[in-house]
Amino acid sequence: MEKPIRQVSEMKVNAELYVRDLPGQLVGSLEPISMVNGNIVGVVHDREQMVNDRILVSVTFEVDTAAQLDELKDIWKSLDIQIGSMGSVGKTYPMDYLILGKFDGSYLDTLIEGAAKTVHLESVDVGYSARDTKDNKRSAMISVEVSDRADVDKLDVFFDESCRKNKLILIKGVLR
Amino acid sequence: MRILMSGYGTVGRGFAEVLEKRSKFLEERFGKENLPRIVCVMDSKTVARDPAGLDMKALEERKLRTGKVGDESYSDSVAVIDSVGFDLLVEVSPTDIKDGGAGLRNIRRALERGKDVITVNKGPLALCFGELIDLAVENECKLKFEGSVGGAMPIINLCHNNLAGENIRSIKGIFNGTCNYILSKMDNGQPFEQALKEAQQRGYAETDPTNDIEGFDAAAKVTILANSVFHRNVTIRDVRITGISSITPDAIALAASRNMVIRLIGEVSETKLEVSPRLVPKGHPLAIGGTINTAMIDADLAGPITVYGRGAGRIETASAILGDLLSVMDDRIGKKHSK
Repeated sequence: MEKPIRQVSEMKVNAELYVRDLPGQLVGSLEPISMVNGNIVGVVHDREQMVNDRILVSVTFEVDTAAQLDELKDIWKSLDIQIGSMGSVGKTYPMDYLILGKFDGSYLDTLIEGAAKTVHLESVDVGYSARDTKDNKRSAMISVEVSDRADVDKLDVFFDESCRKNKLILIKGVLR
Repeated sequence: MRILMSGYGTVGRGFAEVLEKRSKFLEERFGKENLPRIVCVMDSKTVARDPAGLDMKALEERKLRTGKVGDESYSDSVAVIDSVGFDLLVEVSPTDIKDGGAGLRNIRRALERGKDVITVNKGPLALCFGELIDLAVENECKLKFEGSVGGAMPIINLCHNNLAGENIRSIKGIFNGTCNYILSKMDNGQPFEQALKEAQQRGYAETDPTNDIEGFDAAAKVTILANSVFHRNVTIRDVRITGISSITPDAIALAASRNMVIRLIGEVSETKLEVSPRLVPKGHPLAIGGTINTAMIDADLAGPITVYGRGAGRIETASAILGDLLSVMDDRIGKKHSK
């Protein structure tokens, strides 16, 4: 059966593996990544770091789902490859929202509070202009980072609804 | 190939000129006996016809001299279509985005008569796409409309032909050169009203700029893409539209402070159908300035593909019509000489 064509990976992972110091073990530790349709980003084979006659292989790879990662762990286990540590280098999605119209600081506080209840925000940054003395309007820029692509759509809907309700203009960013 | 041309404005004239420019190429490709000839031209009030093919230079001179293409007046364009022997309608009359206008009636009638149609008229397509496609299928004729979105920028045939095997996930783009010109000028500190006036003086914006600045023109194009590329069944009324008239210098400055610009972006996918001002990082393909149109196609196998081109202009739009004409003639006649 042919492997499905890879999409853009959602999860980047660093793993420290300890493999037996025998010929073929390095390749043997990397092959399972391909078997679960992962993508190897980088490998360091460190023969100087030996623990219990095993050498360290530090590998960074991408997989699309947590299920693929679990499958990979099972394969390594079955091959007697020990996982020293594993950390996810989580991908984040930055998104920007510019709001125009008549509003004050407390509206922005409430808005960001609501956004944080809607999705998990990895980071938030807010900046706004001084109120225009002529028409009492101002602009605010809210920059956020989320860890799940689907959260961007949820935030889009949340900001859109709030701005429509408060008769404000919303200018969304494009996903970078 | 006998052509009936409804509309003899900027684009119609450009098409006549391009046909003349490419006559040798067309003769080599299809043979002298199949050389396309314009047998009938309608402007808004008069009609000129000659079954043997009109002398387009003489017609152009008459139009310049009298403001009319012919001596024969008409009140019903459909009646003219019924009275002419032709194989292909080139519909380039002015766009009516509210009810499709004469363009819609002309396209409908030509398809009912089993004639192929090439159009750049957005109104009929943005309002009645499904009906027109059904008519074309029912009557076994071709309906081509590459120039209706992005002028010379290839996008519809690109998606239908080169990317036919792709699952296209989304298309985002700048589909209105007027708005992009105004927003680019605002990037340099000009207020909206002044930038609009300059666009009008340069001929990029109409005297009544509503269709452009309120996003209706871009919405018509997004609707055409939604129907033709994503096979959705939508009209312009389904598009979420926000124009650019509310964009303030303050907003532009705030975006610039974060190294971003504001652009009017059309976005279409299986679930999205929207035209609105968006924040775009400087250096991003959609941050382009001036009157150029651009589209980013996100395809599952090929990944992102970006195309740029002139979204309007006499010869540029005629180039898209020529591409459609070749496609129709290749199918109907076949290439005589393989070049």
